[in-house]
Amino acid sequence: MKKAPIAILAILLLCSHDLFLKMDGHFIPPNTNATIKLFNGTFERSENVIARNRMLDVSLVGHGQRTKVDTTAWYEKDSITFLKFRSGKEGTWLAGVSTASRNIALPAADFNSYLEHDGVLDMLQWRSENNAMDTDAVERYSKHVKTLFQVGEKLTDDWKTVLGYPIEFVPLENPYDIHPGHSLRFKLLLQGKPLQNQLVYVGNDHSGQDHAHEEASNKEHAHEDGTVHTHDEVEPVGETHEHTGVQQLRTDENGEVTVSISGTGVWYLRTIYMEQVEEEGLTHESNWATLTFAIGDGHSHEHGEEAHDHVEDGLPSYSYWIGSLVLVGLLFFWFNRKK
Amino acid sequence: MGFLFGLLPLVLSAHDVSDGDQQLLDSGGLPSYIWVGAKHMLTGYDHILFLVGVIFFLKSFRDILVFITVFTLGHSITLIGATYLGVTAKEHLIDAIIAISVLYKGFENLGGFEKVFKTASPNLLAMVFCFGLIHGLGLSTRLQSFAMGQTDFLAKIISFNVGVELGQVAALIPIIFLIDRWRTKRSYGAFYKAANMYLIIAGAALAIYQMVHYLQNSQ
Repeated sequence: MKKAPIAILAILLLCSHDLFLKMDGHFIPPNTNATIKLFNGTFERSENVIARNRMLDVSLVGHGQRTKVDTTAWYEKDSITFLKFRSGKEGTWLAGVSTASRNIALPAADFNSYLEHDGVLDMLQWRSENNAMDTDAVERYSKHVKTLFQVGEKLTDDWKTVLGYPIEFVPLENPYDIHPGHSLRFKLLLQGKPLQNQLVYVGNDHSGQDHAHEEASNKEHAHEDGTVHTHDEVEPVGETHEHTGVQQLRTDENGEVTVSISGTGVWYLRTIYMEQVEEEGLTHESNWATLTFAIGDGHSHEHGEEAHDHVEDGLPSYSYWIGSLVLVGLLFFWFNRKK
Repeated sequence: MGFLFGLLPLVLSAHDVSDGDQQLLDSGGLPSYIWVGAKHMLTGYDHILFLVGVIFFLKSFRDILVFITVFTLGHSITLIGATYLGVTAKEHLIDAIIAISVLYKGFENLGGFEKVFKTASPNLLAMVFCFGLIHGLGLSTRLQSFAMGQTDFLAKIISFNVGVELGQVAALIPIIFLIDRWRTKRSYGAFYKAANMYLIIAGAALAIYQMVHYLQNSQ
């Protein structure tokens, strides 16, 4: 990867104000207490809570059933919003949160900075090529996030559930059915239709280490409450940062991206789809989507309806052979005596 | 029979995909596919038991070569083809059919068709080819239970198939040697009956065991 894209990705990851659903562990036993955390900030750090009245939808999907979660079940602590729940039956579960839209007015310079920091590069390029870099913006934005987690060993098909959010990632394969070294395909849907040629950023819990933030430390950007603030209190200036683990991809003509899964851990996909709108008092509208999931190394594979565990339990195979020889021996003496 | 049923859980464990094998495949390249293929053939009793049944019926080395080649051709077609095309079978169901092939061979070797059905056995070469196709589908289903990735996909399948053949040869050499040496002994008749009766018992027990698991997983 060349230096310029690395620098951009470095800035992206640190300054973005994305929304992620995270868990302490994406592999949880059945019928136990678990917690989903709503990170509003970066993948590594939550900087703000999400007001409950902004949650249009909170859903848990398992065994073909979608359960709407009461937003009063959430609580806040240390800038993180938490949802405690009890894991149900074994299976691959999906959780989703969709927020209501908000408007934010930004001066041209701040808007350009935000486009750069959050990776909305197509819009930034359009402004640059159309002499619009000095144009102020009023943007309507909303965020729609999903996470997949595995309860027990049994794999179910709930991972492919489309929640009907304005924008959302839908896996084309169960992440809990693969190992590192595999590729995973995802479809990006905008209003239910495949979104082509859209920038998608992919990272994992290893790619956020060694942050770079020389240029971005004093940039301002918007938060959920609509305020604008700097990142001075978040990252000291002058540190050396690299984000080589973040992949920048584009969806193909089918709205799909292929992600090379290089290791275990928690992975995420994020995208911001922005378009210009001709509406009174509004210049742009953006829909944000993230999807988180984990890649393990001790899960089971499932094919069709049958699963077989990755365990080497039971007695070794020579026991079977010894038992078989004993049986053949007994039969031999019986037939030999009979003769 | 109770003794044999007691051994059945071991059969399932021998057919499991292990984390150790997956890790080996993740890091060992194409040679690891050869190794896992050979290992699966050597620990997958049903394939070996069927070949034992085939060898019992044959007397000349030429016949053995012809029948093993036909069996290899059959299972290679479905192993490579089904894996490449992503076609899988229900694991317990295909294992049950493979177990029935073991039962079939023991039954045929003991003259079951003549004694029970008062008819001649079906053409053995054709049956070996058909059962070879079924065994290949079972091997393919097993191979596809590993995360193989997309890189060198065909080469990985072929490497696994090469491993299967090497494992098959390694298992057959001592078996052919044993049967050939025993054939001239007076006790060969009892040995022949005992071994083929074992194939019937083992095949029936394996088939029941696999069907029970298939039905349990279908619920």
